[in-house]
Amino acid sequence: MKKFMPYVLSLLAALLLMACSGKASSPQEEPAPTGEAAAQPETSGETQASHTESSPTSITVTDMSGREITLTEPATRIVALTASDCEILYALGAGDTLVGRGEYCDWPSQVTEVPSVQSGADTNIEQIIALNPQVLLMSTMAQTQEQIAALENAGIQVVVSDAQDIAGVYEAITLIGTLMGKTQEADALVADMQATFGNIQTEASGDKKTVYFEVSPLEYGLWAGGSDTFMDEIAQMLGLTNIFADIRGWGEISQEQVIERAPDYIVTVTMYFGEGPTPEEEISSREGWENIPAIQKGRILNLQNNELSRPGPRLAEGAQMLFDFVYGQDAA
Amino acid sequence: MKKTREGFRPLNYLILAAITLAILLLCVCVGSVMLPLQDTVAVLWNVITGAGNQEYELAANILLPVRLPRVLCVALVGASLSLCGAAMQGLLKNPLADGTTLGVSSGASLGAVLAIAFGFSLPGFPLGGTMVLAICFAFLSLLLILSLAYKLDSSLSTNTIILIGVIFSMFASSISSLVITFAGDRVKTITFWTMGSLQGSSYENALLLLIALVLFGGILLGHARELNAFAVGEDNARSIGVDVPRVKLTLLISISVLIGVCVSVSGTIGFVGLVTPHMLRSITGPNHRRLLPAALFGGACFLLLSDLLARTLLSPRELPLGVITSFIGSVVFIYIFYKARAH
Repeated sequence: MKKFMPYVLSLLAALLLMACSGKASSPQEEPAPTGEAAAQPETSGETQASHTESSPTSITVTDMSGREITLTEPATRIVALTASDCEILYALGAGDTLVGRGEYCDWPSQVTEVPSVQSGADTNIEQIIALNPQVLLMSTMAQTQEQIAALENAGIQVVVSDAQDIAGVYEAITLIGTLMGKTQEADALVADMQATFGNIQTEASGDKKTVYFEVSPLEYGLWAGGSDTFMDEIAQMLGLTNIFADIRGWGEISQEQVIERAPDYIVTVTMYFGEGPTPEEEISSREGWENIPAIQKGRILNLQNNELSRPGPRLAEGAQMLFDFVYGQDAA
Repeated sequence: MKKTREGFRPLNYLILAAITLAILLLCVCVGSVMLPLQDTVAVLWNVITGAGNQEYELAANILLPVRLPRVLCVALVGASLSLCGAAMQGLLKNPLADGTTLGVSSGASLGAVLAIAFGFSLPGFPLGGTMVLAICFAFLSLLLILSLAYKLDSSLSTNTIILIGVIFSMFASSISSLVITFAGDRVKTITFWTMGSLQGSSYENALLLLIALVLFGGILLGHARELNAFAVGEDNARSIGVDVPRVKLTLLISISVLIGVCVSVSGTIGFVGLVTPHMLRSITGPNHRRLLPAALFGGACFLLLSDLLARTLLSPRELPLGVITSFIGSVVFIYIFYKARAH
C-alpha cells in the first residue's frame, strides 16, 4: 500500500485546491516575462539616467507606495491598469496619452478603444512592454518586486496609485496631474470635487437615516459594503448611517440581518442587462423584505456604473446622485 | 447489536426522525439574527393553527420567507447528497466515492454554467434549463468516468477511479472557467456555482428537492438489497439473480438526477456524500438496508449543522456553505485513506 502515498498526497492537494476556489489560477506572476525583460535592459535604462539630472523639464514625484520616480519630461505614453486611473487621465484631458489600459477599464466609453492588457492577478508584463509606454500606472494589489524590477529594466517607470479614501483620490489626481504636466487641471479637478462634497455636506441634514449598500444581489449571494469603503465615507457625508458599518470592506451578509436592521434607503450597484426584472424590482419582490422602510417607500437607488465603488473623480457624481435621491425625495 | 433483522425497526426510524427534527428546529431558532425561542415557537404555532403573526412581525418576516425555506433546502440537499454518496460507495465498492471525488458535481456545475452562459431555459420553469443540463452533464460525467476507469483498470480499483474523478473534475472546472471567460457580463451569475450557497432559497426550491428525493431517493432506498450484493462483488450480484446492467443504470440515473437537482439549486457543496455515510457506517454497519436510511437522515443533520456554522460563525457575515463542508470533508478524506492504509 505504500506506493499509494504519493497519489494520495497529490490527490489531496488537488482536491483542496479545487475545494478552496473555483478559479485555480494562482496570484503569483509567471516567471517567464521576468527573464525576458531582464535580457533587454541596458539601452533604455542608460539614456534615462543621463537625462534626469540635466533636463529642466524633469519631474519628480513620490507615488502612493512611497517610491520616488523621476521623469525627464511629462509622460506622453501611459499604460493604466486600474479603471479609476483611466478615469482620472480622461478627467484631466490626458486620455490621448493612454496606449494601453487594464481589461476592466470601461469609463468613459472612448477608453474601450485603447488596447487592453490583462490586469490584477493576471498582469502580463510582456503585453505591457510591447506597448512601449514611459509610465505604467497600477495599484499595489497585484504587483511584486520582481515585476517592478522587470518593468524598470525595460525602461518603464512604475507609478503606484492606490487610493483607499477620498483624500487618497485627491492625492492620486495630484500625482497623475504632476506626471502628465497637468498640475493646474489636477488642482481644478480636486477643487471641483471638494466643492461638490462640501455642498453636500452643508446641505445634508443630521437626522440619522440608515442606508444599505448592496454590492451583490441575493441570487449570487448577498454582499454589502461596510465601513472603510467609499460608500461608507459618502454616506457619512450625507448624514446617513450605513447599517453594515460593523463590517470592514465588502462582505457576504445574511438576508436576516438586512430585514432586522431595516434600512431607510437601499443602494444597489447591480448591473441590469435589459432582461427580467430590474434590480429595483428584484429587491422589492424579495420575500420577507416587505416591511423594510426603504422597500415600503420605494427608496431604492441603482448606481450601476461604479459611481460609488471606484476611487476616481466620479465619486463626486455618485455622491451627488445619492444626495439628490435621499434629499430630493424628502422634499417631494 | 442484535442481528435479528436486516433493516431498521420503526423505533429506529422514529429516533432518527426525532433527532433530525430537533436539529431542524435548532437551525430554525438559531441564525444570523437571534430570535427569542418563544417568538420562534409562537410564529410557527400561529402558522400551523392559521392565526396571524401581527404581534411578531419582525420574527415572522425573518423566519417564514427567509430562514425556514433555507433550512428545509439545506436538509433536503444534505439528505440527497449523502444518500447518493452511500449508494455510489456501495455500487463501486469504493469508500471514497462521492459526487465531489468522482467529478459528478463538477460535471453538473459545468452543465449549469453552460445553461446560464447560453441562456438555455425552459419557458414557464425558471430553474428548468439549468437543472436539465446539470442532470444531463452529471449523468454523462458519471458514464465517462466509469467507462474510462473500466478501460484502464477493469477491477475499478479505489485509486484509479478517484484519480480519474479528480482529473475529470479539473477538466470540467477548466471548461467552466473558459466559458466564464467568454461569458462577459454574465460572469457574476456563474461564479456563484463554484462555491455552494443556499442563500435566497425558496419554498419552490424545497418542493422541487423534495419531489426529486422522494422519487429518486426512493429508487435508491428500494435497491438496498442489490447494493448489498454489489458491495460483495458484481459476480456475486449476478449469481444471486440481480439484473446487473439494468440495476446499475437505474442507480446511476437516480444518482445523477439527485446530484443534478442539488447542484442546480445550491451550487457545488462538496464532500457531504463522503463524510456522512462514512461516519454512519461505524454505527449501522455496512448493510445498505440500514446504511441508506441512516445516510438520508444523517446527511440532513450534517448539512444543517454545517449551514448553521456558515450562518452564525462570523455573523453578520456569512460563509459559503461549501467552505465548511470541504474543510470537514478533506479531513475525513485523509482519515479514511489513513485507515485504509493501516489495515
